[in-house]
Amino acid sequence: MKIHKAVITAAGPDQRQLPLQSIVSATGESKTAIELLLDEIFEAGIRNAALIVAPGQTEAFRAAVGSHLPQIEFIEQAEPLGYGHAVLCAKDFTGDEAFLLLVGDHLYLSNRDRSCVRQLLETATREKCSVSAVQATREGKLPYYGAVSGKNIPGSRDLYQIENILEKPTPTVAEQELITPGLRQGHYLCFFGMHVLTATTMRLLEDALESSGKSLPLTPSLAAAARSERHLAFEIAGQRYNIGEAYGLLRAQLAMALAGPQRDEILTMLVELMATSR
Amino acid sequence: MLTDIITSDEPALRDRPLAEACAGLSREQLLAEASALDSFRRTSGNLYQRVRALFFLHAIHRYHLSGETSENDGHIPFEGYRHLLARRFPEAIDFFLASQREQGSGDAISSALAAAYHQLAFQTLADQVRKSVRTVRGNQWMFRMGHPAEHPLRIRRELLAHDGHNYPILLERTPVRMDLTHSAWSDIFFLGMDFPEGAKVINVSIDLAIHGSGKIPAPPVSAYLRVIDRPVLRLTSIDLKATAEIDALADVFDFAKDHLGLLKAAVIASGLIPPGIEGSGKPLSEILAMLVGPGRGLELVSSVNHIPKGSRLAVSTNLLAALISACMRATGQAASLTGELAENERRLVLARAILGEWIGGSGGGWQDSGGVWPGIKLIEGSFAAEGDPEQGVSRGRLMPTHHVFGENEIPAAARKALQDSLVLVHGGMAQNVGPILEMVTEKYLTRASAEWAGRGEALSLLDKILTALRSSDVRALGKLTTENFRGPLQTIIPWATNLYTETLIARAEEEFGGDFWGFWMLGGMSGGGMGFIFDPSRKAEAQARMLAIMSETKTLLRNALPFAMEPVVYDFSINPHGTFATLLNGAEAALPPDYYQLHLAPLLRAEPGDLSPAQRAELSRFASLSRSNPDFRASLSNLLETLVPSGGGSSPQSGALAELLEKWGFDPEQHEAIRRDLLADRIGLARNRLPAITEITDVLPEDYTDLTRTPPSVETIDLGKAALAEGSVAVVSLAAGAGSRWTQGAGVCKALNPYAKLGGKHRTFIETHLAKSRQRGAEAGATIPHVFTTSYLTDGPTREFLESHGNYGYPGPLHLSPGRAVGLRMIPTERDLRFAWEEMPQQALDEQQQKMRDSLRTALIGWARGAGEAGDYIDNLPLQCLHPIGHFYELPNLLLNGTLARLLTERPGLKTLMLHNIDTLGADVDPALLGHHLASGAALTFEVIPRRLEDRGGGLARVNGRPRLLEGLSMPREEDEFHLSFYNSMTTWIDIDRFLALLKLDRTSILAGETAAIAAAIRALAARMPTYLTLKDVKKRWGNGQEDVFPVTQFEKLWGDLTLLPDIETAYVVVDRLRGQQLKDPAQLDAWFRDGSADHIAKLCGWGARG
Repeated sequence: MKIHKAVITAAGPDQRQLPLQSIVSATGESKTAIELLLDEIFEAGIRNAALIVAPGQTEAFRAAVGSHLPQIEFIEQAEPLGYGHAVLCAKDFTGDEAFLLLVGDHLYLSNRDRSCVRQLLETATREKCSVSAVQATREGKLPYYGAVSGKNIPGSRDLYQIENILEKPTPTVAEQELITPGLRQGHYLCFFGMHVLTATTMRLLEDALESSGKSLPLTPSLAAAARSERHLAFEIAGQRYNIGEAYGLLRAQLAMALAGPQRDEILTMLVELMATSR
Repeated sequence: MLTDIITSDEPALRDRPLAEACAGLSREQLLAEASALDSFRRTSGNLYQRVRALFFLHAIHRYHLSGETSENDGHIPFEGYRHLLARRFPEAIDFFLASQREQGSGDAISSALAAAYHQLAFQTLADQVRKSVRTVRGNQWMFRMGHPAEHPLRIRRELLAHDGHNYPILLERTPVRMDLTHSAWSDIFFLGMDFPEGAKVINVSIDLAIHGSGKIPAPPVSAYLRVIDRPVLRLTSIDLKATAEIDALADVFDFAKDHLGLLKAAVIASGLIPPGIEGSGKPLSEILAMLVGPGRGLELVSSVNHIPKGSRLAVSTNLLAALISACMRATGQAASLTGELAENERRLVLARAILGEWIGGSGGGWQDSGGVWPGIKLIEGSFAAEGDPEQGVSRGRLMPTHHVFGENEIPAAARKALQDSLVLVHGGMAQNVGPILEMVTEKYLTRASAEWAGRGEALSLLDKILTALRSSDVRALGKLTTENFRGPLQTIIPWATNLYTETLIARAEEEFGGDFWGFWMLGGMSGGGMGFIFDPSRKAEAQARMLAIMSETKTLLRNALPFAMEPVVYDFSINPHGTFATLLNGAEAALPPDYYQLHLAPLLRAEPGDLSPAQRAELSRFASLSRSNPDFRASLSNLLETLVPSGGGSSPQSGALAELLEKWGFDPEQHEAIRRDLLADRIGLARNRLPAITEITDVLPEDYTDLTRTPPSVETIDLGKAALAEGSVAVVSLAAGAGSRWTQGAGVCKALNPYAKLGGKHRTFIETHLAKSRQRGAEAGATIPHVFTTSYLTDGPTREFLESHGNYGYPGPLHLSPGRAVGLRMIPTERDLRFAWEEMPQQALDEQQQKMRDSLRTALIGWARGAGEAGDYIDNLPLQCLHPIGHFYELPNLLLNGTLARLLTERPGLKTLMLHNIDTLGADVDPALLGHHLASGAALTFEVIPRRLEDRGGGLARVNGRPRLLEGLSMPREEDEFHLSFYNSMTTWIDIDRFLALLKLDRTSILAGETAAIAAAIRALAARMPTYLTLKDVKKRWGNGQEDVFPVTQFEKLWGDLTLLPDIETAYVVVDRLRGQQLKDPAQLDAWFRDGSADHIAKLCGWGARG
C-alpha cells in the first residue's frame, strides 16, 4: 500500500485562524503552523495534500502554506457540519487511495529520529491497512479525544488490533468498554490526531451522511470501518501539541524551541523570566 | 478437625453444623481446635475460609468454652480491650491469647476472644465488600481523581440550553421495590458472595399512593437536577425540609452536618465530586467550573412524596439510585438522557448506589435498588469468573444479576391479581434491622443446623411462589408467603415477628376468616412495611379495616413497642418502566410546589433590589405556575402563611411540661444548683471520677461468698424456704426506666416490652418477673408480694397495662410504687461532650461510619453551643425532657409513697425485700440465696457475677482497702475496671428493719405515715451519696418517621453507692451468670437463646392459668 495523499482539516469554527499563526521552527525559521505541518508530511513522502478550509479562507491559507503551494488543493467546506463531513469533502481528492488524515491545529514532535508522520506512514505501508496513531492518555483528558481499545499484536510493542472506538467517552464507560491489556490503570489509547485511512472510511462516511442530522462525526464511521476491515492503532513515539487550547501555541513554540539548537538559550530565558516575574 | 469442614469441597462435610461437630469435645479438645483454627485463619488466603474460621472461633468461645467453671476466672487484659475499641482486632486477639496462655482458659478471657473474633469476622467481610465496590469497572476512576483539572466529566449540552435564567430540569422518577421473598435474607452481600446459588429474591417495582389521599399510585421517588448560575452545589430534600448551598469541598463530604447526607452520597458516588478528591483542599468552584462551566453550579432536589421512613420498601436506596441515575445521565455516563435506562446503565447505577451506601455509612441489601428495573424480576447471585475482581477471593460476585420477567412468564392477569389482593401497609414500628443481618450472617457461616435447613426450605418456597405467580394463583401465593414467615424466616430469626404483627395477623384472620389469604413480611423484619393478602372481593374493606386494626393495636401497645409513626395503608401498582427520566424545558421546567415553599419565603422577605436576576426569574416562574396549576395555587397560600408570624403565647407542650414537673416532684432549687455547678465546672463527667490517688484493687476471697463454687448448706436453704412459706419476703422490680438501649431512646416502657417468646408466647419483662414469683410462691405454698417501681414515664402505662392484662392473674399482692422525684434534662456542655467523645475510650467504627459519627458529633457540639450549654432541654415531647434521678431513690420512694406501709400492713411479718433490675431476668426469690442472706445477718446482700467483656460499668472492688461496689462512672482510670473479677448484678437482698435504721426510722414511723420525717431522713441519706452527671441519648421524632438522637445531661444517685456507707453492714455473694446477667439490648437475644439462658428463665417461670 502506498500513501501519497494527505487531507488536513482546518475548517472548524474555532480552528480557522490557528494554522495561520506564526511559530519559530526547531531550526530557527519563522513559519506558519500549517507550513510546519506540511513540511513534515511532504518530508515523509506525501506528494499531494488537500486542505479543507472554511468558506472565504482559501486565500489566507494560500498565503500561509509557503513553498508547498503547488502540491496543495484547497477545498472549502460550505457549512460546518462536523469533522466527518470535513473529511468527506476530500472524497474526490482521495478517490480510491488510502490517505493520511491530520488536523490543522496540531503540531507534532517525534521522540525518534523519524518524524511522527513518517512513523505512521511506514507502519501503514508495512501493515497494508488503516492505522490510527494513538497515545496512552490519562483518563482526565478523555473529554477531549476519541479513544480506542484493542489487543496488542503479537511481536509488536506499539501496534494494537482495534476492538472498540468511542468518541470522548466518560471514564465510567471507558473502564467498562475500553480496556486495553498492558496499559497503566486509568490510561487509555486516545487518538493522536493522525490517521492513515482507506477508501472504506470515505464510503462509510458517505453512507452515514444520509442519516446524519446537523453534524457528521468521524468516530462512528471509523468504528464501523474497524469492524469491516483490518484497522490498527499505532502507539506513536512523539508528542502532539494542540495549539487551539489555552497556552497551546506557547507550549508548542517552547517544545519546538527546546528541541532545536537554541535549547540552552531558551532555558536561560525561562529561568530569567521566572526570576523576574512576580 | 474443624478446619476440614471449612476447606472441604464436599457439601456434606462443608455444611456440617459447627454445634454438632463440637458436641462431645472436651475442654482440652476444644482449645486445641481453637488453636488450630486460629493458625488456619492467619494463613489462609481465601477470604471466606478465613471468615468461617473466625466465626467458628467466636462460637467456640461464646457457646462451647463459656459457662464452664475454671479454677481461675481470670481477667481481661486492658491493653487488648483498648485494641478492640480501636478496631485493631488482630492485635486484641494476640493480647487475649497471650493472657489465655498465662492464666489458663476461662469465662472472662473467652468472652473477650469471642467478641474480638466476631468483630474481626465482620470487619473482614465489610472490607471485602468495600474493596469489591471500589474495583467494580466504572467505579475505579473516581478513587484516582485528585485534582479539578483532571475532572473527566462534563455536563451534557442539553442541560446548558437556558432561556434567560431558566435552565432545563432533568427529572428522574423511580419506583420503590417490594420483595415477595428474600429467601431468608439471602440478599445480604456477604451471603451472596459466598453462596451465590442460594442468593435469590423476587422483587417487584411499585408505584405508591397513601390510601385515602385521593391520589393515584405514582413513582414515589423523584430526583431533579438542573444547572444554576452560581458556583455552588444547592441540595434540597423536600421531605426533610432541608436545603443547603454548599460552596466548600469539605462540606460535600460532611454527611451528618445536615439532613442532606443522601444527596451528598449521590453527588459523590455519581462521580460529580468523585471520592478521590476528598481532602484535596481544592475549591469546589474549580471542580464545578470543569463540570458545568465557570461561574455555574448544580442543583439537586430529592422527594419521596411523604413515604415514611422504615417502610421496608427500600425508599432511601431507590432515592439514592434515582439521584445517581440523574447525575449520571446529566454527565454522559449513561447514554440515555431521558426515558428508561439500558441494562448496562442500570447495572452501573446499582454499582454506584452500593458505593453511595457505603460512602454514606449505611448499607442496604443487594436487591434494594430494584426500583431501577421495571416490573417483576428475579435477582440472584452469580459465580465469580475469570477477570472478576472477586475471582479467587469469594465464590460469588458482589453484584447480582437481574432477570425481568416478561408477560410470557408472569402474565398480566397475575400482576393484576396481585394488585387486587394485596393490602400494603406500614405498621408504624421503627426498628433497627442491623443486628438481625449480623445474626443471619453468623448463623449461615456456622451452618447452625435448624437455620441451614430453614434456608433450604426458603429457597424451595421461592420456586413455589414463582409457580403461583406464573399461574396467577394469589391465594396460593398468600399461603406460601405466610408459610415462609411462619417457617424458615422465624426458624432463622425468631425476632422477625413481634407481638404487634402477631396481633394484626390474628385479627385479620378473625375478621376475614377464609378471605384472608396470607401475610407477607417485607424486608428485614415485621412491624413496619407488611403485606396482607385478601380475597379481591374484600380488598377495599380490608384496606379500611387493616388501618383501623393497626391503629387500635398500636394504641394498645404504644408504650410497649417502639412506634415511630401512625400506621398507613398504601395503594400501589406495579411499575412497568423502572427508573425513568424526562427533560423539562421552558414553562414545564418547574420543581415541585414544596420546593418553592422552602426557597421562596426568604426571597419574599428580602429587599427587591437585593434579588439576583435568577432569583427574580424563580419568583416570576412560581407566580405564573400559581395562576395555572392548582397544586401551586395551594402552595402559594401556604407560603403566604409562613410569611405572617403566628400569634405569640406559649405552646401547649410547655404547659404540659410544667404540669408534669409539678406532678412528679421536680425540685427547681436543686435544678438551679446543679446548673450553677455544671457551668462552674464543679460537676461534670470528668468530676464523677474518684481522685487519681484512690487505690482500686480486686476483692479478696474473704470479701465475698462464692455460691457457684460452695453451694449453701441444706440448713441455709431450709431457712430460706421457711421464710418464703412465712411470707416474710417481697420482690421489688425496678421498672421506672425506659430502657434506653432496648429501644435506642424511643421512650417506651421496657418493662412492658414483649421481648421474646417463652412458653410459646411473647412475654413482657413484667410478666416474666411475676411468673417467677408465682412459681416460687407456689413451691413454698405462699404468695409473694411483688412491687414494680414506676416513674413519670412508666407509671400510667404500667397501671393501664397491668389492668388490661388482669395483673397477669398474679395471685399475690401486686403494687406499683410511683417515683417521687424527677429531674429536667439539660443541654450538655461542650466540655462534657468532648470528655465523653474524645477522652473516654470508646468503640471506633468502620471507616465511613466513623466519619459519619465524627461529623455528627461536630454538629451536636455546635447544637449544644447554639442552644445554650446547661440550658433546660425542652425542645421535645414533655416526657422526653424529664429524667429519673437514679435508682438510689427507688427504695426510699417506697417509704415516701406509702407502698412499704401497705406491704407491712398486708404482711406484718415482712422482713426481707429482694430488689432487682427489670432486665435481670434470672433473679428470683431463690430460697438458697434468701437463706444465705438471712444467715449472714447482713443488712444488704449484693449479688455479683464473674465478669465478662460485655459487663462494663463498675463492679466489686476494694477501694483504698475497703470492699464496696464501685460505679464505672467513678473509676479513676478506665483500666481499673479490668482488674475486677466481679460485676454488680444490682440484685440486692434487703433487711427492711436495718435499712430503716440506717435512715433512723422504724416500722412504726412508716406505718404511721410520718411523711415529713421520712422525707427529711431520705434527704439526709441522699446527701451522703455521690451525685453523678451522665449523658443520655434521647430521640426526637419529626416528619414522617424521622428521628434524631440528641445527647442530654442528667444527674443521678445510684443504689450501689450505699455500700460506701460505713454504718450499714453489706455482704457480697457471687451467683451464677444465668441468674445475674442482664438483657439490655435486643441484639443479645439470639445469643441468649443459643447459650441456654432463655431455657433457664423459662424453667423458673410459672405462667399461671392464663399463660
